[in-house]
Amino acid sequence: MIRLRPRLSQASNTRREAFWAWLFILPVTAGFFLFVLGPMLASLALSFTKWDLLSPAEWAGTRNWHSIFSVSVVHTPQARDEASGDLLFQCGRHRNVPASELTDWQRRNDERTGEPFDCRPGYPRDREVLPERFGVVSEVTLVGQRWLLGARDHVLWIALFNTVYMLLAVPVGMALALAVAIVLNQQLRGRNLLRAIFYLPNVLPIAATSVIWLWIFNPEFGILNHLLGSVGLPAEGRWLSDQGTVKPSLMIMGIWSALGFQMLIYLAALQAVPSQLYEAAVIDGAGLWGRFRFVTWPSLSPTTFFLLVTGMIFGFQSFAQPYIMTRGGPGNASRTVVMEIWKNGFADLEMGYASAQAWLLGVVILLITVANFRLARRWVFYEHEQHV
Amino acid sequence: MSEAARVLATPLRDDPRRQAQLLRALSYVGLFTLAFIILIPFFWMLSTSFKPARGIFVMPPQWIPDPFILDHYFTIWEKTHLARGLVNSTFIALSTTLGEIATSTLAGFAFARMRFPAKGPLFGLLLMTMMIPGIVTLIPTFILFGELDWIDTFNPVILPYLLGTPFALFLSRQFFSGLPRELEDAAKVDGASFFQIYRHVFMPQARPLVATLFVLGYLHRWNDFLAPLIYLRSPEIQTVSVMLARLVDFYVQDWSVLMAGAMIALLPILIIFVVLQRFIIESVAFSGLKG
Repeated sequence: MIRLRPRLSQASNTRREAFWAWLFILPVTAGFFLFVLGPMLASLALSFTKWDLLSPAEWAGTRNWHSIFSVSVVHTPQARDEASGDLLFQCGRHRNVPASELTDWQRRNDERTGEPFDCRPGYPRDREVLPERFGVVSEVTLVGQRWLLGARDHVLWIALFNTVYMLLAVPVGMALALAVAIVLNQQLRGRNLLRAIFYLPNVLPIAATSVIWLWIFNPEFGILNHLLGSVGLPAEGRWLSDQGTVKPSLMIMGIWSALGFQMLIYLAALQAVPSQLYEAAVIDGAGLWGRFRFVTWPSLSPTTFFLLVTGMIFGFQSFAQPYIMTRGGPGNASRTVVMEIWKNGFADLEMGYASAQAWLLGVVILLITVANFRLARRWVFYEHEQHV
Repeated sequence: MSEAARVLATPLRDDPRRQAQLLRALSYVGLFTLAFIILIPFFWMLSTSFKPARGIFVMPPQWIPDPFILDHYFTIWEKTHLARGLVNSTFIALSTTLGEIATSTLAGFAFARMRFPAKGPLFGLLLMTMMIPGIVTLIPTFILFGELDWIDTFNPVILPYLLGTPFALFLSRQFFSGLPRELEDAAKVDGASFFQIYRHVFMPQARPLVATLFVLGYLHRWNDFLAPLIYLRSPEIQTVSVMLARLVDFYVQDWSVLMAGAMIALLPILIIFVVLQRFIIESVAFSGLKG
């Protein structure tokens, strides 16, 4: 071998290589320390302070964390009259109707509605049962027993519940995407066109698609109710304006928007499944379902896992869509955790408290991701493992 | 018995050819119906954006507007800064993506092809970033940029990305690791410096990588919402997405104007998508398989 340069010593060569390598990774490493690791640790420190950016930061000890985790579950038995011990009922808006007068009340008409009184078991007011300054996160009735879930920062816990609830759109969307990918994975004419159409909603800016769906969901003049009505389905949906339907509505749009991406990833993975596996399955007498169950599904399990984990990490940080479409309403029914962090941090300037909330979310996401990886060992099948 | 009658008399389960045909036909019907459903929101947006204000409250809704008017597009163009927003979004997406490609490929090259102390742990540390949700760093970063007096400037939405992203770094390292060993051996013998090897030997091979990083980075940055919402306050520097979200408060119930706005906001990406469709789809699939 002819060397054009004088031979350098091995040691100086190694040092020169290390020097250049360090130089090459400098920007990325600097970015990591400046914008990821540094802020992450700072965020943890901030979570122990009270700081509105205007006055100097104050050390708050564990007060922020204490507020976040001030939660209580209270069993609330039906109220009783203190003197007589009679069970109390609530008829319309009249509280404290004793059991002895119940039949009388049920014969009378509600002055507001004109209908006969609707009487239900009466309970003490929420704030009488819950600790001071607590709000209701949720109430649960199990076998006739009523439980109240309360928290100091009840909005945060409601937001966390909403966020987790809306994550259900991830597996539902994935199932649909897988079905579409399998059907699309044939020699079909117009396949590329179809693939592009399915993927389109995913590339377009979420702000634009959110505004479009806002109009689609409009109860009076939106196209959704009109289309439902024209095929004979009930067309009175209030969609985003109703506490009961706002989450499913956002999920429908979420599935519409993510479907193409999930389908694309599944399709790419399907094309990598060796055809010999299918041939072997057919020889073994497998039908359509058998081929799916024993070839397609195991071969795709790493893809399913990838989509599930990334979908959940993404879903936990949902912000733009509910921000633009509902601002978290009606009530708090579509508020997400990131909206809460945004409100506390940037609208109320509670930097310390918002940092604690952000850390809570970060830890929740991390725990779920780790749990996903643990569970993955049971059902995800990596091809290279089969030779072991 | 005629041929047709015989075919019909054979039970479907005993005739694989007919089964396959039926399955294909069903596939077509199902797929095209779904494609149509997926596109309805866009038809609805287009249709609304060309209707006079009163026309949108006509029931049943008209799909083809009559009269067909362009007024709302002029309203958007003249009364809002949406055009400016398009320029800002383009500037932000373009500069961050190009910067990210430069820094990430350089680092990816070092991690894939060079030897240096602490390489493994450092790469692991950088990859961990992908697991950390961005929200955790939001508040201190905001405070940092506030201290630097950078709120309401482009810096906060450009600078962090210029220094590279873990995703781009990971993809670059994967790509460079897969290239043959002979590539740099020859160059080393010729006495090329490491930067020359990166620049003149590896980067020319990395066209598919660069293209993938460009497409994914550009789309991602264009669609970014939270950071621009927080940092870009004046209309002169806002992105088109943030401006559109503000219009919802401003043109309440004025759906034809809002749909024209949505149309303008998604048009550049739509054009890019239609032109580069095949390539974008391959990039996404490629990155997904690596991920």
